[in-house]
Amino acid sequence: MINNLIPNPDTIQVSWIYFQMLLLLTTPIHFLFMNAMFGSAGIATYLHFKGGEKEKKLAHHIAVFLPLVIAFAVNFGVAPLLFAQVLYGQFLYTSSVLMAVFWISIIAILIVGYYLAYYYDFSFEKLGNAGKWVILIAFLLFIVIAYFFTNNMLLMTLPEKFSDWFNNMGGTILASSDKVFLPKYLHDLFGAMAIGGLYVALISQLKRDKDPELAEYGKELGLKVFFWFTIINILFGLWQLLVIPSNIRTGFLGGNGIHSVIFVLALLFIILALVFAWKKNLKMTATFGILTVFFMSFVRDIVRRGYLSPYFKPSDLKVVNEYSPFIFFLIVFVIGFFVAYWMIKKAIEAFN
Amino acid sequence: MNYPVWFLPAIGGGTLIAFIAIVHVFVSHFAVGGGAYLIALEKKAYKEESEEMLSITKRFAKFFILLTMVFGSITGVGIWFITALVNPGGISFLIHNFVFGWAAEWVFFVLEIIAAFVYYYTFGKMDRKTHLKIGWIYFISAWMSLFLITGIIDFMLTPGKWLQHHSFWLGFFNPSFFPSVFFRTFMSFLMAGVFGLFVLSFYKNSEAKEKFVKYSSLWVIISIVLMVPFALWYVSVLPVEAKSLVMGKSPEIVRTTKVIITSSIIAFVLGLIVYLKPSLNKAYIAAIIFLAGFFIIGSFEWTREAARRPYVINKVMYSNMIFEKDLPKLQKEGFLKNAKWVSVRNITEENKRLAGKEIFIHQCYACHTIGGFNNDIKEKAKSMSYTALTKYIEKIHKVRYFMPPFAGNEEEAKALAAFIAGDLLGKEIKEVEKAKLDGKTIFEDNCSSCHEPEEFEDLISGWDKAKIRKALDMLEKLNPEMPPYNGTPQEKDTLTEYLFKLSGGVK
Ligand code: HEC
Ligand code: HEC
Repeated sequence: MINNLIPNPDTIQVSWIYFQMLLLLTTPIHFLFMNAMFGSAGIATYLHFKGGEKEKKLAHHIAVFLPLVIAFAVNFGVAPLLFAQVLYGQFLYTSSVLMAVFWISIIAILIVGYYLAYYYDFSFEKLGNAGKWVILIAFLLFIVIAYFFTNNMLLMTLPEKFSDWFNNMGGTILASSDKVFLPKYLHDLFGAMAIGGLYVALISQLKRDKDPELAEYGKELGLKVFFWFTIINILFGLWQLLVIPSNIRTGFLGGNGIHSVIFVLALLFIILALVFAWKKNLKMTATFGILTVFFMSFVRDIVRRGYLSPYFKPSDLKVVNEYSPFIFFLIVFVIGFFVAYWMIKKAIEAFN
Repeated sequence: MNYPVWFLPAIGGGTLIAFIAIVHVFVSHFAVGGGAYLIALEKKAYKEESEEMLSITKRFAKFFILLTMVFGSITGVGIWFITALVNPGGISFLIHNFVFGWAAEWVFFVLEIIAAFVYYYTFGKMDRKTHLKIGWIYFISAWMSLFLITGIIDFMLTPGKWLQHHSFWLGFFNPSFFPSVFFRTFMSFLMAGVFGLFVLSFYKNSEAKEKFVKYSSLWVIISIVLMVPFALWYVSVLPVEAKSLVMGKSPEIVRTTKVIITSSIIAFVLGLIVYLKPSLNKAYIAAIIFLAGFFIIGSFEWTREAARRPYVINKVMYSNMIFEKDLPKLQKEGFLKNAKWVSVRNITEENKRLAGKEIFIHQCYACHTIGGFNNDIKEKAKSMSYTALTKYIEKIHKVRYFMPPFAGNEEEAKALAAFIAGDLLGKEIKEVEKAKLDGKTIFEDNCSSCHEPEEFEDLISGWDKAKIRKALDMLEKLNPEMPPYNGTPQEKDTLTEYLFKLSGGVK
């Protein structure tokens, strides 16, 4: 029955390995921006509700950057979604259709959240105390978006749920009743808060010359958020490890060499990041925090492949060789990289 | 048949796509042309050394950022989402064949965002030359996005030589690519002018504003003039079938092209008036031009989509996600045996209507709602009996080119007809024996899909029986839309009697 539901995939033009590499490269970058957006919105909400001079100032500082990180979170989400569709389209399109109502509502929610973020930024002074409601709503909207995203990413790995469609064709099927859902969702949210804390600590350093007090406060708070949310998140991570299918779990615990190494490295980076956070060494915390995000996103990819392994692996995709478009893309990518670098350099010069 | 269908019987997927797509193309073309427009305004302000013009430019840049960055880019993602929900098969095919086109487009999207932010946030803080350069990078990146997406969108309409060689580049640089790129480029300049006039109409009156209004109206009128030759070129490269739909075969499309032409004339004339007398750019005048712009672009996109019917990718995949190449197999072996996402594999008397429903969902729902406002099947099929529908379904593509051929066998056609006539229309389902055919039944089976009986009073008033009988042998010659009627001579006689009666008999 299940194989009667999983759609036949289309052919690809270059080996699946390139798509896999592009996916693994772009996903963590998207996560970093998304976490910055989510976590900093959460922290700004906290600051605004707490009130006080330096809290307001830090919230304002976060507000100025918020629309920018939203733009990049979305923008860098496009690439991994594209490559995930190439590799796993038959699962991802299917799960999206099954939860279509929620999936498409993300667009509307995001537009509202995004405009609220601009409103919060451009009218920060004018809004005064009312601003806390604006940022709170934006933050809540982000939590909802995360809920739908986690659902889809889980549902796409559960083809045994696909037949629910016959009883519900209206696009309102979710995966939140699955036992993995809750730990996964909490793990995603708390991870995002932690990295968001790191991000707040980092952007407050831009104020080091003009407002050292603010820079210090941002660093202190950001590292604290990073530390405590990470500690709790380790528990959610363990919970998730306990409930995922056992073949995937044993793979991480020695069953599969590469999987175990990646998993252990991810854990090691977390511990190092925590130690440096405790010691208030922002640079090192950031370095290991970012490494953790990269490695955890690899772990995530391994989990997905483990779920799908009874039905499909990307190397099953049929290749009809045509490399020239790939080369074209690489050239555009390199040129784009330098142009972006030049623009950012000029922008920084303009502000100094 | 390969993917599940998001089934909202009363709404229909097409409506959802149209809703997001039309607002998106409006804003996204503005996002391209507006880039060039901003550079032009800024340059003009520098040339005239006018602080006031510069501050208007900066204000416009803020509006531009808020509209294109948020609404433009998120609805762009929205189109991707919604098309993947409504037609996953089509999107999957495009993504897999043109992934590096999209990927390159993504790079330009990154540059667009960085450039837009740098442009806006460094306004007045950066030296003029570099600032204009950033503006140029924005415009070029945005235009490259247009360039890349156009290649893929127009591939769907005119795949051209791709059909033989399946090569990325042949598909990308397809026959309608160049006319389309030019057409869209000028359309994007038109949108810039249209938005410019609209936003300016709300600004305080001043000399600087007047100059900009005059200048923006030029963008409107010149763009419209330049769009004309490319529109004609565009139509001239369409495949014969699409061309005949655009040139008159499809009444819906003809109506829409009239909207395009009328709106263009209105925008042109009002643009000219505003150019001659900028103080006339009142909010309501600007709003009319704005709406005209919206109608031009919306109708254009709608026409492009409609001209592709019955395909989503011309000659490759039908609107209902069935590959043209799979058709013979499905017609021979049956749809239900080969499809995924169906529960009935073998039709029995009990599950016949359920099978019909599943076939409807996978083959007809792509364009028909059930009881909805858009192309409601209950409305469209209301005059047809079960047998009429069965026959109609089997030759559906021959009778109506814009509908895909039925991808199934005879039994499945009957099941589908039973679902529509029985479940949806509440009619009786019974097989009619050949010998018992009376005139009314023959009419219902063969003519009712296009004709109401009452029409014949006028249609053939004054015809004698011989003339009617002769007409039945050559229906296809009387009107190119009519299929030939191939009943037996006896049946033709029976039908003649019936029609003669309908016409009111001898007068
Ligand atoms: C590509 C889109 C498309 C698909 C798929 C499609 N139709 Fe249609 N169909 C149309 C359009 C458009 C019209 C009506 C145009 C008009 O208003 O005259 C129509 C009209 C009809 C009519 C009214 C009679 C007529 O000829 O105008 C019937 C009956 C019908 N369709 C049945 C079906 C059935 C059954 C299926 C599935 C096997 C189907 N259609 C699939 C687009 C489609
Ligand atoms: C695919 C749609 C279609 C079908 C099926 C169809 N017709 Fe027509 N028919 C038309 C159209 C379109 C016209 C043009 C005139 C109009 O309807 O106003 C027309 C016109 C006619 C005319 C008038 C011709 C003239 O010279 O003025 C006759 C007679 C006629 N049809 C008879 C029939 C009969 C009898 C059948 C069934 C055997 C039939 N049609 C089936 C579409 C159809």
